[in-house]
Amino acid sequence: MVFFNLWSVLQWYLRPFIKWFLRKTTRLCELQRICYGDKPGAERSRNVEKSLMLSRTRDVKQVVSYLDNTVLERSFVPRNFPEILNPSVAIILRAKKINPKLHELFIVSFRRCLAQIWSYRLLLEEVEEMRKTHYDSSLPEHEEKLLKLWSLLVPNEDLESRVTKQWQYIGFQGDDPKTDFRGMGLLGLENLLFFASEYPQASSHVLSHSHHPKYGYTYAVVGINLTSMAYYLLKDGSAKTYMFNARQYLPNMNLFHKFYCYLFYEFDKMWIESKPENMMEFSIIFKKFENAIRNELADPASVFRINIEVDTI
Amino acid sequence: MMGLLNILKKLRSNPEKELRLLLLGLDNAGKTTLLKQLASEDVNHVTPTAGFNIKSVLSSGFKLNVWDIGGQRKIRPYWRNYFENTDILIYVVDCSDHQRLEETSQELAELLQDDKLRNVPLLVYANKQDLTTGEKHLNKDKRKYLTSFNNEKKPKSQNLEFFAWVL
Repeated sequence: MVFFNLWSVLQWYLRPFIKWFLRKTTRLCELQRICYGDKPGAERSRNVEKSLMLSRTRDVKQVVSYLDNTVLERSFVPRNFPEILNPSVAIILRAKKINPKLHELFIVSFRRCLAQIWSYRLLLEEVEEMRKTHYDSSLPEHEEKLLKLWSLLVPNEDLESRVTKQWQYIGFQGDDPKTDFRGMGLLGLENLLFFASEYPQASSHVLSHSHHPKYGYTYAVVGINLTSMAYYLLKDGSAKTYMFNARQYLPNMNLFHKFYCYLFYEFDKMWIESKPENMMEFSIIFKKFENAIRNELADPASVFRINIEVDTI
Repeated sequence: MMGLLNILKKLRSNPEKELRLLLLGLDNAGKTTLLKQLASEDVNHVTPTAGFNIKSVLSSGFKLNVWDIGGQRKIRPYWRNYFENTDILIYVVDCSDHQRLEETSQELAELLQDDKLRNVPLLVYANKQDLTTGEKHLNKDKRKYLTSFNNEKKPKSQNLEFFAWVL
């Protein structure tokens, strides 16, 4: 611990000298070295973020706080990117004395990093907002979502009434799901809905596993616990690996839902493979699963994909 | 928390003693929230318990091993696997869930039949009394269900202590 503290203090003082030395020998600033040297995706964007956060240059600090502000105003969305990112990049080019004509590649790559980093921050805000929205059975739009979840998961059977034991078939605890969302609020429901609507085959495959006579589990309740896992992985930054390595997309709500679907699909696999004695082994297997996911996310090269095709066999 | 600490003090024969607390009750009664509160953790991110949660809490010189077992119907049959060596049973009741007071009282009645829980002090935690629906029904129903326990069950299983305490 002492050693670690000493090292971080030392690093704080040494960093400028190391950076100065590298700058003189490579003729590139730290941001350029990252954008040219590190692999695109999680590795590059994480390092750019670290560099920007540690920067003591006044202009860089101002750009960072300006971008943070666009997140708070919810204006950091792709259609505003030219307006927001062009001046931000220009200020940093000037502060770091980078010639834009010689370093066009850097600009493209750095811009992409900025878009990823602050989209992630915006996503965090949006997810938190959705989580804080409690499920409210007096609101028709909430009720509609719940009923839609039923019709997507169990298309061949109608609900006999709004409050019915049938809900337990899709893994809610009692006759009325409204109390099961708890601290995950609407986020838990939206996650379940996305999995059912965007991956109908995978979700019905997982649902059928949850009815296994020996290894069965409560689908929706497990799903809400996975929402909680996805939420914490997003919040502590672990999910950056997943989000930044998604080449075609920027971090957004859809990508968060997809991350959740990946977790659900993989958890189900691990659960069935573990051959649990009964539902009481959930806590242990869930923890084991979380550790496995955290290990994967710790490797910046990890790319996650659901092998949906496989499950149609 | 005063009521709980008083029971603890009575049990304090060995100052280093570890105590095993068992939290039971129907789903959505507030067991996990109570567990997190005992451990001074954030209670705004609770999820339904599939399986169980366990936490060790240090309180007034006691090491409390608190077991919070999921309350949904499907896993209630597994409650009995956790009875062994329990020092205190806390049975959590959602007072605002008027419709299921009868169900919760039946579950409690069944618990009290079990030999492994004989001589285990019981605390009935009347949760969510602050909710308006809880307030409205509490007086009427508490008498109907909870106190009826007191009279009927106490002679059968001695040494049970009944409490209703406000969060």
